Amino acid sequence: MVEAKNMCMRYNKCGDNALEDISFFIDRGEFVFFVGSSGAGKSTLLKLVIRELRPTEGELKVFGRDVGRLPRHRLPYLRRNIGMVFQDFRLIEERTAYDNVAFAMMVTGATRSEIRKRVPHVLGLVGLQDKAGARICDLSGGEQQRAGLARAIANRPAMIIADEPTGNLDPGTTLDIMNLLRSINLRGTTVLVATHNRDIVDRFKKRVLYLENGRLVGDEQKGIYTHVH
Amino acid sequence: MFISGFRYILAETFKGLFRNRWMCVTSTGVVVVTLLMLGLFMLVNFNVGYITDTVKEQVEIVIYVDDNANSSQLADLEKRISGHPGVAEARYVSSEEHMDRLQRQLGGMLEGYDADLENPLLASYEVRTVIPENVVEIAREFEGYPGVSTVFYGQGYVENLFSVTRIIQLVGLALMIGLSITAVFLISHTIKLTVMMRKKEISIMKYVGATNWFIRWPFLLEGLLMGFAGAVMPLVALYFIYQYSVEWVVINNLMFINLLPVEQVIIELAKYLVPLGTALGILGSTFSMGRFLRV
Repeated sequence: MVEAKNMCMRYNKCGDNALEDISFFIDRGEFVFFVGSSGAGKSTLLKLVIRELRPTEGELKVFGRDVGRLPRHRLPYLRRNIGMVFQDFRLIEERTAYDNVAFAMMVTGATRSEIRKRVPHVLGLVGLQDKAGARICDLSGGEQQRAGLARAIANRPAMIIADEPTGNLDPGTTLDIMNLLRSINLRGTTVLVATHNRDIVDRFKKRVLYLENGRLVGDEQKGIYTHVH
Repeated sequence: MFISGFRYILAETFKGLFRNRWMCVTSTGVVVVTLLMLGLFMLVNFNVGYITDTVKEQVEIVIYVDDNANSSQLADLEKRISGHPGVAEARYVSSEEHMDRLQRQLGGMLEGYDADLENPLLASYEVRTVIPENVVEIAREFEGYPGVSTVFYGQGYVENLFSVTRIIQLVGLALMIGLSITAVFLISHTIKLTVMMRKKEISIMKYVGATNWFIRWPFLLEGLLMGFAGAVMPLVALYFIYQYSVEWVVINNLMFINLLPVEQVIIELAKYLVPLGTALGILGSTFSMGRFLRV
């Protein structure tokens, strides 16, 4: 599903590599943590997967297609298969939870009847059925991230990418969100999570790819943050 | 899907206008003020052009025929005048007709004067040129021509008239270009602010897989509506301003100021301002969005 071969990424021609000689393969339905300290290259890697950036060397295949060579007009169709979850939620604050999820479906061309059926369903999956009409700015951080998750799964993507999804949340809410991601993964969706939350990585015992100064220094199935480190 | 997408775009356009109403009011206000200034200037320019054209049309050459010219010289002169490509209209005025005109102009002052016995006035040709600016050139062609006594075309006055109208036209053109550039600059910057306020929304749309055109359409429609409204409002204001000005000219007996009819002026202005405002709105949106779509 995601395959990197000797991939490098440089932000500018004279600068150091943000990612250096990265190779890995992630299969359909996997749950993978990308861990490492700040600046290790976790977010850069995820940005490459959604083709916000292009690799400067090597190859990165997502759903079997080399994203580095993907023409710009094909980008929306790649992203419709990937649900994004962000540390800062990136929701439209003055709109309701329902509107935010519906918005993600509308822009991909879903019909009104599909939206009417699907939005309450996904809000129910993340436990926000009672907050559908609440504006995002009136929700707590945990509820906002649930709305973000609902938006990410609304279009039934094959893969969820979460960049520090619990970075702004308290420990209890963090666990709720991670459990939601795990249940989404159990339904067959591939989940990639970039985090430096040691407790979560250790508790979930999933595959861990460890990045350090832009290099992949560890890849462990059922890994523990401290073991890899 | 198409209907749903179209409905979404329309709904988003109006929601966007409502949500960012103060910014939209500001953007539209900028369009209104700029196009009002441009429209006011065009209004003045149209009328100055009309007045100068009217004055130019009245410019004519008077070729006085020599009293001693023989019949072949007169025939040659007539042929030469009527066959000249730069002459639009030529009218022969006999010495008797000149005397009649003079008597009419002076009223009873020439009473008792026997014009048939002693008429000192010369016959002439009154010539209108195809292009008024060519009056001087054509007049000089006939000076000293056999059978011609003198040529009169308002020497000095005509040259001044043409140079003044040329300056007015050039200044007008420069001001209109300057104001149009200012309008594009102001409008694109104001719309850029509207788009910047919504850059988060645009980046979210990009992340969830919206195509660039799907994102662009509501903004383009917003730009179009703002530009259209920004052109129609000054047009309405200009209609009332101009109508009042025309009435003022009539009330104050300034009928020698020959103004264009209100409807004609407003239609001319609409032909410029409505497409200009609409295009400015669309272009402003397009230019302002480019950067935000590269996510």
